[in-house]
Amino acid sequence: MLRTVYLILALSLLLVPARAQDSDLNALIETHRSDIEKPSRRTIGPVLDELVASGLPGVAVFLEHWREKKLWQRKSDGRFFFIEERDDGSIGLVDVDSGAEMGAAAKDGITNLKPNSGVRSMIASALVQFQLSDPDPQRRAQALTALERDPDASHLGVLRAAIDNETDPGLRARKERLQRSLTIQFGSDPATRVAAIESFAGDAGVDARAAINPLLATRVEVFDVIPDDLNIARVLEPGDDIAAEAAYQLLVEAGKARPIVALDARKQALIANLDDGAVGGVPVAELDTQAARDRAYQALAGAGAVPPLVTEAEQRAALEGHVFAEVYLEPDATLTAAARATLSDISSTVGFYRFIDLVLDGLSLASIYFLAAIGLAITFGVMGVINMAHGEFIMIGAYTGYVVQQVIPDYTTSILVALPLAFAVAFMAGVALERLVIRHLAHRPLETLLATFGISIALQQIAKNIFGTQARPLTAPSWLDGAWVINDVVSISHIRIAIFVLALIFLGLLLFILNRTRLGLEVRAVTQNPRMASSMGINPDRINMLTFGLGSGIAGIAGVAIGLFAKVTSELGSGYIVQSFMTVVVGGVGNIWGTLAGAGMIGSLQKLIEFFNPSNTLAAQTYMIIFIIIFIQFRPKGIIALKGRAAGD
Amino acid sequence: MRKPLLLREPSVMIFISLLAAFTLIVTVLSEGFGLGLVSTSMIKILGKTLCLCLIAIAMDLVWGYCGILSLGHFAFFGLGGYMIGMWLMYERTKDIVLGSLAGGALPATPQEIEDAIGTQIFGVVGGSEIPAIWYFADSLAAQLALVVLVPGLLALVFGWLAFRSRVTGVYLSILTQAMTLALSLYLFQNDSGLRGNNGLSGLQNLPGLTDVPQSIVSVWFFLASALALGAGYLIAAYVVSGKFGNVIRAIRDDEARIRFMGYPVEAYKLVVFTLTAVIAAIAGALYYPQAGIVNPAEIAPIASIYLAVWVAIGGRGRLYGAVIGAALVSLLSSWFTGGQAPSIPLGIYTIDWVDWWQVLLGLGFVLVTLYAPNGIGGLVDRLVRKDAS
Repeated sequence: MLRTVYLILALSLLLVPARAQDSDLNALIETHRSDIEKPSRRTIGPVLDELVASGLPGVAVFLEHWREKKLWQRKSDGRFFFIEERDDGSIGLVDVDSGAEMGAAAKDGITNLKPNSGVRSMIASALVQFQLSDPDPQRRAQALTALERDPDASHLGVLRAAIDNETDPGLRARKERLQRSLTIQFGSDPATRVAAIESFAGDAGVDARAAINPLLATRVEVFDVIPDDLNIARVLEPGDDIAAEAAYQLLVEAGKARPIVALDARKQALIANLDDGAVGGVPVAELDTQAARDRAYQALAGAGAVPPLVTEAEQRAALEGHVFAEVYLEPDATLTAAARATLSDISSTVGFYRFIDLVLDGLSLASIYFLAAIGLAITFGVMGVINMAHGEFIMIGAYTGYVVQQVIPDYTTSILVALPLAFAVAFMAGVALERLVIRHLAHRPLETLLATFGISIALQQIAKNIFGTQARPLTAPSWLDGAWVINDVVSISHIRIAIFVLALIFLGLLLFILNRTRLGLEVRAVTQNPRMASSMGINPDRINMLTFGLGSGIAGIAGVAIGLFAKVTSELGSGYIVQSFMTVVVGGVGNIWGTLAGAGMIGSLQKLIEFFNPSNTLAAQTYMIIFIIIFIQFRPKGIIALKGRAAGD
Repeated sequence: MRKPLLLREPSVMIFISLLAAFTLIVTVLSEGFGLGLVSTSMIKILGKTLCLCLIAIAMDLVWGYCGILSLGHFAFFGLGGYMIGMWLMYERTKDIVLGSLAGGALPATPQEIEDAIGTQIFGVVGGSEIPAIWYFADSLAAQLALVVLVPGLLALVFGWLAFRSRVTGVYLSILTQAMTLALSLYLFQNDSGLRGNNGLSGLQNLPGLTDVPQSIVSVWFFLASALALGAGYLIAAYVVSGKFGNVIRAIRDDEARIRFMGYPVEAYKLVVFTLTAVIAAIAGALYYPQAGIVNPAEIAPIASIYLAVWVAIGGRGRLYGAVIGAALVSLLSSWFTGGQAPSIPLGIYTIDWVDWWQVLLGLGFVLVTLYAPNGIGGLVDRLVRKDAS
């Protein structure tokens, strides 16, 4: 109410042409001098309101100086000034209203006003309306941000007034949006509020929901008969919509029923009434069942020593005799109805965006799995060997990236160097492993599995000995920080986009190598029939070696990519190894498209399960694996199974 | 008329006699029952090693004889430990709870006792309700039955699913590994009803026998483990000696041919898989009361791979090889990682075995696979044959 009065006052002041007095602002400040000298959160509100309402041109500047602790007071007469330091070191006083020089001052003749942070924030919120029309767009944006964070009924009018002369289209949209959400909260006319609510239909923004949700706040009340004048959300059925105990508790709180004596209180009462080894005639030794204790308690209650029990029948009768209902705090039913309709509309939009977000998440997880598994798929597919050390090649790649970053401090350059270097290092490690171990175990796949496991634990321990057990950082360049935010629901971090692109590049590259190059031709020949290939002049040993190197090299690159968002530890690779195997097996061995399908399925499925049970990624992985085991039942050869002779057996 | 098993297979006779002699000597030297030359902690280590030898026999049976490289038998081992651990923990907690409630003014009601037990056991995971899977936890007989039933049924269902869809070779290994991972991840959850990553602890205390010192209890468990190992060895030797043994060896060597000869290959594999899972579970049920704690980390896939490593080092397809491998590698492991092995100074760098044992084990294992595919058992064979010729 008071604010309206001030507003009218302000308008009338605006209409009156500047009354040339000493200075309106100085006079106004003078009347509030004591409050300005010693401001507190409680007392400063009306002063600020009056200052703002005065509509005087100098108010904004004054408030700003005050907030920024640049307001001074002359000790001799208590008048307020700004100051400026002159070239000769002396201090000049500046009038708060006109900005005119008011002569010099001695340093000890003036005091600086330093309002506390609570007061300063109140000043800042009073300043908002000046800033909303500030010529500097950046300050207008700041003011809007401040308003969004801490809205107030008084700002609605100011905001509305500041929309029309807004020139920047982006800011104008923000202002209008904020104006609508403020209207919902503080608007005086139900029709405009309903219109504002409905204008948010289908809007996925968090602010829209934040503005509408408070309208639907409810409290549970108990009535004998539901009164007509309340805005009832729904009637609650004890036992179904509201737990019977909670409902009865409400009755007790409303003074409509006797309180239940809690189990523990009853026990304490029994102990308090112990008398000569018995309670209420029941010997203590017999009180080892609840039934016996109840008997003893009832005996006590009969004697009037303790409050009587509330029987179940009594509870039920009490519940049946009353009505429980959720009542909207907002009394206007049209508002709540509009809010509910709009909110349900919003939630279906949000659901759609959530789904999009889920798909993006699934894609990004799938691309990680694809990168981790594709190397394995190549070696498994071409050579039929399981490489348990594959995860350690991922780790080698990640550590290579870390070492490169120690040498080259610039993150962008170091990543560009690390990717090929990780490929080279892992390629060499893979070639060495193939030549030294795997070649000698040809046609003994189970032994290969175990021998590469030996390599795996040795490599892991060596990495632990060199780099220690603590996680090493592999920092992404700054242009990969942040996320691509589509709206408040859908966003995806740049690193994940980069990994997705990387996975696409490798998919293309591998398809090109396998289908369009001489090496690819030979690899495919060896995959299908090694002996026939060797009789055609292809050296299978060389092909195996190169294939293994290629698969390991890609694992190295995957390591750099994974290291960017995960911690680089010696166990980095082993965390991905089982998933990679799953990807290969589910997708179908020896087929890039199969690996792609496997990664896509596992990635999206895992995200889907997490979506239904978001608190528990462990459970998601468990269900995932169980699903895969069952899936293998129906497609033992994977999603894309090789047919004909190539399938072997 | 066939000769009895013990005479037909001299290795069985030798093994059983050696085991008996070893058990007797250790018991006589123990703190609890004799001269006190072997410490209680050493008895526990030996007892645990015997359990590991038993699961190694199971692994040898399923892998060395039947050719199924299961990377999941440690899951059955751990499950066995969990099953017996539930009884140990429940009853022990009940003892403690009854002790603390006895001082109250009123005798405790059954509900109060159960609430107190629930809070005591599940307080660490923020619960106080006793989950339904603990229904039988107050009955030793029921939990002993579950030691066999739960892992056995899991193996039966999993094996049936896997074998009927003809998953073989490395695929099967990966699938068993996935099963193990799924189980351990499931147990890691706090709401799995088995105390999440805290696992079950305090298993070394026998309910109702708190007066008996650990030096005695450890010998009991040592003897039980030795007995189980002996029995497991005999059963395994019996299984592999007859026609059944011939069939499963043939399945290992050429599964398709055996199938074409009309043998129900899947059924044979399923029997072996389930039987070995049960043996593994019994080994686990004996192991964890000696270890004192069982938690999901024990079930992690890597443990099962180590099991395969032991058997490969000891020598597949020979029961004594599995025992030798498990005993040797696990004892060496605890010796090296326990910090007792002397470090090797190399001037600029000192090889500390705590850090380098894994590397040695990994590389040594690669060398064994490359150059001694039959492991230590293969060397024994060569010696024996040289003597014979």
